[in-house]
Amino acid sequence: MESLKLPKDTMLGASIVTVTGNREAFIQNYKGILEYSTERIALQGKTCRLVFEGRRLSIDYYTNEDMKISGLIDAVRYV
Amino acid sequence: MLHWMQYLRGYVKVKVWGYSTERLLNLCGNHDILVWDIADHGGYTTMNVSVRGFFALKPLLKKTGTRASVLQKYGLPFFMSKMQRRKIFAAGFVCCMVFWILMSRFLWNIRIEGNYMLTEDVLLAYLREQGVSVPMPKNRLQIAELEKALREDYDLITWTSARLEGTTLLVQIKENEMPDYEPQEEDAGESAGTDLVARRAGTVAYIVTRSGVPQVEAGDEVKAGDVLVSGAVPVYNEDNTVRRYRYVQSDADITLRYTDDISVKRDVMYDEKIYTGRRKKILTLGFYDREWDLKLGRIKYEDYDVSGEKTQVRLLDQLYLPFYYGTKTVQEYRMARLEYTEDEMEGIMRSEWNKIITTLEEKGVQITEKNVTIKKNETYWVLNAALQLEEAAVRTAAAAEPADAGETADTEP
Repeated sequence: MESLKLPKDTMLGASIVTVTGNREAFIQNYKGILEYSTERIALQGKTCRLVFEGRRLSIDYYTNEDMKISGLIDAVRYV
Repeated sequence: MLHWMQYLRGYVKVKVWGYSTERLLNLCGNHDILVWDIADHGGYTTMNVSVRGFFALKPLLKKTGTRASVLQKYGLPFFMSKMQRRKIFAAGFVCCMVFWILMSRFLWNIRIEGNYMLTEDVLLAYLREQGVSVPMPKNRLQIAELEKALREDYDLITWTSARLEGTTLLVQIKENEMPDYEPQEEDAGESAGTDLVARRAGTVAYIVTRSGVPQVEAGDEVKAGDVLVSGAVPVYNEDNTVRRYRYVQSDADITLRYTDDISVKRDVMYDEKIYTGRRKKILTLGFYDREWDLKLGRIKYEDYDVSGEKTQVRLLDQLYLPFYYGTKTVQEYRMARLEYTEDEMEGIMRSEWNKIITTLEEKGVQITEKNVTIKKNETYWVLNAALQLEEAAVRTAAAAEPADAGETADTEP
């Protein structure tokens, strides 16, 4: 796998999370939303669950491929 | 860019509540319905969705057991339908835009800068001749040609620049600061030689000749048109007969003395307008060269002056439009017959005398003797001035052939 130099996310189905400071998060490669409130957003990835915790969380946009979360992010947890 | 697309297509802000909004979001994702600005408000969630997306949302709402209601509509399609209800407003807006666009295609004002000797009226009349006048379509204006024509037709203009600023044509010119006034006369004298001729009758007071043959001496009486210095200089043979004439440009300092009587008469009585203090202000509106006064009825004054000012409407400093507004002031007056006092009359006479002196000085005339008397009368005063004046009253003329030139002034041997 390493020697083939293939993108790991496509092969393993791993989610990509890009967090800018503690204000924005950009997520690719997920299956869907499990839970949404201003304090907690839970996403179902292909291999694990992702939980964003914080305050005043909102979803800037949401499509099948990617989504963007903004607000004050306190923690990103993999469950 | 994305915002513009969203605006053009139109979108709605919806309020969603019910059993599982998360499931609705997942279904939206799976059905390629773009939702954005999702915010949780505790009991319900708000989100933005495109118009097309909103209609596709309906079966999903049923499936997830959630309900949705439109909070607000955004975008061009909604704006257009709103405008359809306000037809007059929309039409007015469109008309206004069309009006401004059409108006800005015309030239509404001409400004000329840098002219000192050529008056604005002369230049405007010339521009009219060239087909440039207000109003005219801007695209008919040929600026480069106009600049060239101005330079060619006026020797006085050494530099021109014309440019359009909004609806104003700004013509800047530079005038020749030292124009040569009579170039032709000098050219004519170049070949034939010139005489100096008396411009008026008088006594020669002083004559010093630099070139040419003097025909008079100091003390001689001359008439207007007499030749004072001849430009034909005789060349003699050895036996003192004239062989031929050589023509030169005569040059001499000559002053003629003559007397002149000037009398000025001024009436003691005079008419003066006395304003009664009654006045009226009238608003005026103008379009192009027409004017309308906003007044009710006629002006009841018997004699009145009208003075006014008007301002041209302009947009953004340079965009002049053919509309004017202003005020006119109508002031009533009555004519009164008044009498100058002795002091006032003296002052008037003194200023008249000063005027005479300054005009003479400006002409280069010297006063050598003067005798001024003032006659007073009940109805008028008369100032009589007997003046002895000295003046270089000489003009140049093409050299006259001498009387005996016929047989001798032929070509050189």
